Amino acid sequence: MKVFSNTETFNYSWEEVSTANWRKYCPWNQKSTHVVAVDTLSRTVDPETGILRTERLITCRQSAPDWLKKMIGGNIEDSHVFETSYVDPRSKTVTMVSSNLTWNNLISVQETVVYRPFNEHQTRFEQTAQITALCGGWQRIKSSIEDTLVKRFHENAVKGKEGFEAVLAMSRRVFAEEREREKMMMLQSQAANIRLAA
Amino acid sequence: MSQSLAPECNEVKERYDTCFLKWYSEKYLRGLGTTDNNECAGLFKEYSKCLQGALKDRGIDKLLDEAREDNKENDAALMGKKK
Repeated sequence: MKVFSNTETFNYSWEEVSTANWRKYCPWNQKSTHVVAVDTLSRTVDPETGILRTERLITCRQSAPDWLKKMIGGNIEDSHVFETSYVDPRSKTVTMVSSNLTWNNLISVQETVVYRPFNEHQTRFEQTAQITALCGGWQRIKSSIEDTLVKRFHENAVKGKEGFEAVLAMSRRVFAEEREREKMMMLQSQAANIRLAA
Repeated sequence: MSQSLAPECNEVKERYDTCFLKWYSEKYLRGLGTTDNNECAGLFKEYSKCLQGALKDRGIDKLLDEAREDNKENDAALMGKKK
């Protein structure tokens, strides 16, 4: 088993980050192009705790090394990930756990991501992934499969941060514009009322 | 918003995602969205119906059942239920 871990700080409030996280893989993010689809499978709010639980299916398309393609055969480029996330509004924590649905008889990838407030204006992102090659056979092969995936995780993490920064910036802009528009509409209707009264 | 794995579900997915994001930021985060029976429930039902067929066609439904079974420990740990 190999472990990949990574920590980042985003200069946005937890509320902004947890909202933008739902559209991390939208066209505003031009870096994480390996994610081709995100589907929501179920979504519930626990009436007792207020925790929002969401199941998503993430579809990835990414080229694989030739030697791995030869070993496994078939369409290795498309893979699916099952993600369950828990938003706890009381402790202000988003926890996302993911596992691979595809090739899980050969490789197990278990990822946990947590977003929590660092302070009022900053949010911490903590990511850990456990990668285990399950196939029997030589340790050397298992080890190189694990190394390849750890490397891939690292590359995607760097791109993921850049892409998410773009989504966060766009989200802030769009929300500000929306607020501005609402304010303008309110002022216009107030002005109209004043004119009517005069 | 992101695409659906089933192109035929993209249109309803887009409408649902937009509804959800508004609900999440304007209600849920302000402590006003305490139930999943909300203004987006109808759209979600429609989207789910579309998606179910696509998952079945691709054989993903069975993989998901297994993954849900494996995730029960996380549910127990992260749903914050006091025993």
